[in-house]
Amino acid sequence: MRKFLAILVCKLGHFVGKFIGKGSSMPGQVALKICPDILSRVTLPEHIIAVTGSNGKTSTVEMIAAILRADGRTVVYNEEGSNQIEGVTTMILTHSTFGGRMKADVLLIESDERYAAHSFRYFHPTEFVITNLYRDQLTRNGHPEWVYDAILPAIHPDTLLVLNADDPLSSCFANGHEKVRWFGVNECSISSGTPSGVYHDGAYCPVCKSPMTYDYYHYNQIGAYRCPSCGHAKPKTDFTVTDVDLGSGELTIDGDVRIQLAFRSIYNVYNILAAYSVCRCAGVASETACRVINNYILKNGRMVRFTLGGHRGTLLTSKHENSIAYDTNLRYIRESNTECTVAVIVDAVSRKYFTSETSWLWDIDFAQLDCPHVQRVLLCGRYANDLAVRFSFTGLPQEKLELHPDITEACDSLKRGGSEDLFVVTCFSDRDKLLSQVQREPV
Amino acid sequence: MELKLIHFYPDLMSLYGSYANVALLARHLTDLNNSVVVQTVRPGEDADLAGADFLYMGAGTERSQKAALADFLPRGEAVRAAAAAGTTMLFAGTAMELLGKSITDADGKTYEGIGLGGFSSVQGKRRFVGDVYGSTDLYEPAVVGFQNKCSVISGVDTPLLTGCAMGFGNEREGGPEGFHSGSVFASELTGPLLVKNPLMLGAVIASIYRRRNEAIPAEIPAYPYEENGYAITAQQLKLRAGQR
Repeated sequence: MRKFLAILVCKLGHFVGKFIGKGSSMPGQVALKICPDILSRVTLPEHIIAVTGSNGKTSTVEMIAAILRADGRTVVYNEEGSNQIEGVTTMILTHSTFGGRMKADVLLIESDERYAAHSFRYFHPTEFVITNLYRDQLTRNGHPEWVYDAILPAIHPDTLLVLNADDPLSSCFANGHEKVRWFGVNECSISSGTPSGVYHDGAYCPVCKSPMTYDYYHYNQIGAYRCPSCGHAKPKTDFTVTDVDLGSGELTIDGDVRIQLAFRSIYNVYNILAAYSVCRCAGVASETACRVINNYILKNGRMVRFTLGGHRGTLLTSKHENSIAYDTNLRYIRESNTECTVAVIVDAVSRKYFTSETSWLWDIDFAQLDCPHVQRVLLCGRYANDLAVRFSFTGLPQEKLELHPDITEACDSLKRGGSEDLFVVTCFSDRDKLLSQVQREPV
Repeated sequence: MELKLIHFYPDLMSLYGSYANVALLARHLTDLNNSVVVQTVRPGEDADLAGADFLYMGAGTERSQKAALADFLPRGEAVRAAAAAGTTMLFAGTAMELLGKSITDADGKTYEGIGLGGFSSVQGKRRFVGDVYGSTDLYEPAVVGFQNKCSVISGVDTPLLTGCAMGFGNEREGGPEGFHSGSVFASELTGPLLVKNPLMLGAVIASIYRRRNEAIPAEIPAYPYEENGYAITAQQLKLRAGQR
């Protein structure tokens, strides 16, 4: 009876909640109060695919859903982005019959890394993709090893782990776990002999803390690592990017699967590879996966085209408090080789909680903007001064920097003159402050 | 003056932009017409502490902290001697715990610290994460910052922050935080503590000059971005602390 009531209330709550913007988490929260073990009482699909990690979750999940649907499967996933247990509960119950049977072939879950153990207390994924573990939202997450320890209890012995072989930390989840498939990128045109980024989290082995060596790096700590002390090393991969040419936008998987990139970045390569790998594990044919992700344009709205005055603009949504997300977009700007102005906006550090914490600015490799085609950089928002101090250590000439604590005033300044391209780098918490003042272009 | 700053374990203990403290200090000292050398010391590398004007270690994960401690413990006598000689030092984030008598990890294993301070740290499964708005007896304006720790530290008689209107002190919410004894500055405030607090940076610089028996030049450069950055953060945190 409690099960029926929880499902009924959740469905009703979801229906009503949609009109007041509280339809994703709140109904699940109420259902869990009515029946705390409701998730163990429902019948779930044969495949439960979960994706967690610091970066790339949303993009990877979106591509997995697209591939599985192209394969004829019915997929339910948390498109609204609620990735804690309450949101997962809402998603499951609203897609279940009143008898508690989920109406889907695949349940696909983007899981918050810190709460994965909580979400998977009553059921466990059949396939679990862990994309990577980096410094991310230290206000919530502490540090990557703390997050590692938080995810570990979420891993069930029966779950097939699909892991990034190139990440020395998240690859440790394989230790003592039998069912593992690996994805990774071979040495290729994007490989480097030195790590990118401001800090070097690959300098020491996550297992024994001895110095590690690398055969090559792809970015930050991602690459072919080896610990001479304990032997922790990049494993042999099951799904492999054997070649990448970011110039032509082509990547090759396992020597013969060729995919054209809609967004030419190494981070996108890893997301595509993760999606491809888990779909192959779930029985999707290589041709099907390839057909879907070839030239795949993400619909998560993280990149937005717009015009502002005479400028053609691109909003590159990063996550504040996540240096890799920023580095991704700064690298994109640097490799664009387009005469441009760049605006960096830090006004509210988070839209979910209050903090004035800005130490993460020091983990971002803003020196990537120190290149001839970046004509000027606008430092915008409440924390413009903190940005200015940080930028004073990047090598960018002072005359290229403009301070605009007021975002509207920054937009007005851009409207007044210039026709060079404009890149705006900011977070979900601040992007509407820009988008409300520009003309968006259709996707 | 020719000044030598020693930065311990810049890769191992590097969380939250820890390096910024040394970078900014070196810049300010250079702007005061000093010749500044920053020596980085990694595990296993030699360091002549007697010739140093400033010792620094930043925040690391709890596991990295233990690896740092293994290398740092044999240097304990030299560090204590440097402190006794008035050498300025800053240990930020989890590095602070190395200065104490002991560190007990979340599994109950106890590690010996270098014993420069008489305090002990006990790490747990709960993390204290959030903004800090506190006071110090070094100067009147507030200290601002951020903490991200899982330790309760007991036995500090001379804290760096005398209290926190916002934030978890060494042992309790709102209590005294950090450790300050002569030229030794230590705090669990993570990241660019000196960037966020221009007056704390000034106190560190004054300490470096004091040991050299030199006066800070009467004319010092202005750093409006640093001052304004502090003012805005302090204003935000004061508002927030007032709402509690």
